[in-house]
Amino acid sequence: MRKYVEFARVQMQVHAAYSAWFWANTFSILLRMLVIYFFWKAVYSSRTEIEGLPFEGMITYIIIAMFLQMFVSGVGQELAHTIKDGNVAIELMRPYNLITRLVAMDLGDKVIHFVRGALPLSILAFIFMDITLPTSWQSGLLFFISAFMGIWIGTFFDLLIAILAFWTINLWGLQVMKEAVISFFSGALVPLILFPEWFQTISLFLPFQAMVYVPVAIYTGILSGTEAWLALGSQVFWAVSLFVLLRVLWSIAIKKVTIFGG
Amino acid sequence: MIVVKNLEKHYKIAKRDPGLRGAIKSLFHRKFETKKAVKKINMHINAGEMVGYIGANGAGKSTTIKMLTGILTPTSGEVKVNGIIPYENRQQNASHIGAVFGQRTQLFWDIPVRESYELLKHIYEIPQAQYEETLKEFVDVLHLEPLLGIPVRQLSLGQKMRCELAAAFLHRPKVVYLDEPTIGLDVAVKVRIRAFIKQMNARYGTTVLLTTHDMQDIEEICQRIIIIDDGSVIYDGSIQDIKSQFGDKRVIHFELEDAADSFVLPEEIRALTEVLPTSDEDPHLVSLSFSNKHISGAEVIHTMMNHYSVADLTIADAKIETIVEEIYGRGMKKEVQHEEIR
Amino acid sequence: MLSRYIKLYYLFCKQNLKVMLEYRMDFLLGVLSVMLQQFAGIFFVKIVFDHIHALNGWTFYEILFIYGIAATGRSIHHIFFDNLWTLGWQYIRPGKFDRLLIRPINPLFHFIADRLQQDGFGQLFIGIIVIGTAMPHLSISWGVLEFFILVVMIIASGFIFVAINLFFATLSFWMVDSLPIVWTIFNLSDFARYPLTIYHKGIRHFLTWIVPYGFTAFYPAAYFIEGSGFERLALLTPVVAIVSCIFAYWFWNRGLKAFTSTGS
Repeated sequence: MRKYVEFARVQMQVHAAYSAWFWANTFSILLRMLVIYFFWKAVYSSRTEIEGLPFEGMITYIIIAMFLQMFVSGVGQELAHTIKDGNVAIELMRPYNLITRLVAMDLGDKVIHFVRGALPLSILAFIFMDITLPTSWQSGLLFFISAFMGIWIGTFFDLLIAILAFWTINLWGLQVMKEAVISFFSGALVPLILFPEWFQTISLFLPFQAMVYVPVAIYTGILSGTEAWLALGSQVFWAVSLFVLLRVLWSIAIKKVTIFGG
Repeated sequence: MIVVKNLEKHYKIAKRDPGLRGAIKSLFHRKFETKKAVKKINMHINAGEMVGYIGANGAGKSTTIKMLTGILTPTSGEVKVNGIIPYENRQQNASHIGAVFGQRTQLFWDIPVRESYELLKHIYEIPQAQYEETLKEFVDVLHLEPLLGIPVRQLSLGQKMRCELAAAFLHRPKVVYLDEPTIGLDVAVKVRIRAFIKQMNARYGTTVLLTTHDMQDIEEICQRIIIIDDGSVIYDGSIQDIKSQFGDKRVIHFELEDAADSFVLPEEIRALTEVLPTSDEDPHLVSLSFSNKHISGAEVIHTMMNHYSVADLTIADAKIETIVEEIYGRGMKKEVQHEEIR
Repeated sequence: MLSRYIKLYYLFCKQNLKVMLEYRMDFLLGVLSVMLQQFAGIFFVKIVFDHIHALNGWTFYEILFIYGIAATGRSIHHIFFDNLWTLGWQYIRPGKFDRLLIRPINPLFHFIADRLQQDGFGQLFIGIIVIGTAMPHLSISWGVLEFFILVVMIIASGFIFVAINLFFATLSFWMVDSLPIVWTIFNLSDFARYPLTIYHKGIRHFLTWIVPYGFTAFYPAAYFIEGSGFERLALLTPVVAIVSCIFAYWFWNRGLKAFTSTGS
């Protein structure tokens, strides 16, 4: 356990060393927030609500979803590169579990990202962008649990995709494709209730809405009461199944390395 | 062919205090430190000469080469290669030179070697007939035939270097700069590469400037060496000269039973021998240098055996390697003293 | 001189294409992924317009048209000039840039020609489809002249993308790798997907006169949209493209000079 904590800590330091990227990121997020704000302001210029959501509710949803989406991807890229350049064989000889190590590093990354990036920026958004607090303290608490689950699901999904690197070459393409699918189905761009009926039905059976839509919908009160608990239940289901699927695929992939030499 | 007069290159290095405060402070007013990488160098190399350009790491070798190729603009002084000032007419200069820079490939990474050569043919505007003739010759001498269809990224180091050399000579350049062309290669490949360079020189009168740490390269290829240390030329002359000048120099490496840090030169030989600095890797190693005009090797060994228990010893003879080691050794010692003063 | 460079570019392209075909799966994956990415953006606009009729007076097809021009212009940059992203970390830092300097051809040309980015074709494809979809719904009649102007506008848009990236990539000559800056500035182009009229005046001026991303999509599109009020400004697009390219190239040469005098 101790060594994984150490990995997380080191990762935080690594992150702190890249200050240029930190500022680039911060600035880019600010820009995105500006675009979002003006876009939705224009959308609401001739109406007061869409599907029951007033401007404040919509902008709150979009901004929180944007922040949450930044945390649902993980260290898949590192894993994919480790696989691609053949270092995975060396990593497998080391006295730790590679996946656990990567998740620990990812955790370190996310903590520092949250403290240095998302937290100050979201406070800024609260002050300047008409963002509202959760409807009740219960939904606030539920949001935190649900967001944690969402991040968990996203992290494992990311690693799952990365393992595909054993069979494909274009990592960048895979990454872009994953991002596109997630922003499609997770509700990161717009609340899923705005989508056509058939689309909502499809996404109900996919793990993506559990990453972003569920937590943010709980936050903004789109989902509440029994609905919220049901959604949370589906998150638990996805978290467990993805975890199991990841372990299975990983052991298959490792077998490929150890038997066929990668 | 290459004329260099009073060539200097200074780098400005921004000095920064450590930490965040240093970073902020440096935003407002920066302190610069000037580092003189090359100091008033002069050299004159004739067409068709093959010259070894040697020096320790950081002595200013690659800075000089960069100025000769036009990649770097000198601070002051004059450079002319084939009558052209390289840093002013870089592209014009480029069509008359070839280069191999150690491990960095000049070829195109993803495409087969033959295609790389095709592209180079167009880049350097080599006439088709000449291209075919040259390529055929190179393929024979360097045994490239089986490599031509393979992308560069899949070649081994030795294979890559052979292809690399062919690329550098493909357009029959007047001058070729070779930076560590044999580093990390096995003996057989080294021999082939040296033969190739010599053959190119004999056939086309190509001027070659070779930097290397491999003294075997120098002894087999070059008639002349230029030694640079701490930015200045400290020797320029034929290999024969340096041998006769330093030919009486001998170095003996002693492997002591005890750690060498308590080692003191025995009184009897103190005036006539000198301790060379050695690397930290072997704490038992002591290297002594002396002139066999003044004291014989046997005498040195005898004295050492009397005072210390010697586990093993090696006598290095008067090869150019020993001499250069000796010259470098002096430079290094200067540095060590410098460090202590600071 | 020019014909020699055209010939050389053709040869570079041929080699790059060969490499691409060697990894056919990759090619398809790359193209598909970029198409999917673009599609996500269009789908977003579609969803929003399912609930509203107009965005600040702009109809769905007008927005789509702006989007299409942005995508097509960007694809020119993506396919042919993608190497600009790599100046710092793939050329200057590992010392590979020196290789370009000892060749008897223009180093910028060599640097650009070194790579052809397959994934950009996906963007080009989507862009053309989107433009094609939106075109009949605009209240303008399409003749040969209009088509010609459209093509000119798209090419100009592409070159504005190139000029902006070239300018900020050039900073790498002083600071080794300016990628974070290039990336941040590139993100500004997100603004250009929507009509600039929805933004605050300050942002609009910034994107028109300082970092001219407005000319990569909104202004050129506005030329074809009746009553947009920007038809005149739109005609400046090719001029802006030429001026920014010249300026960026001048800056590149300054950077190159600084690089050859410090060699860092």
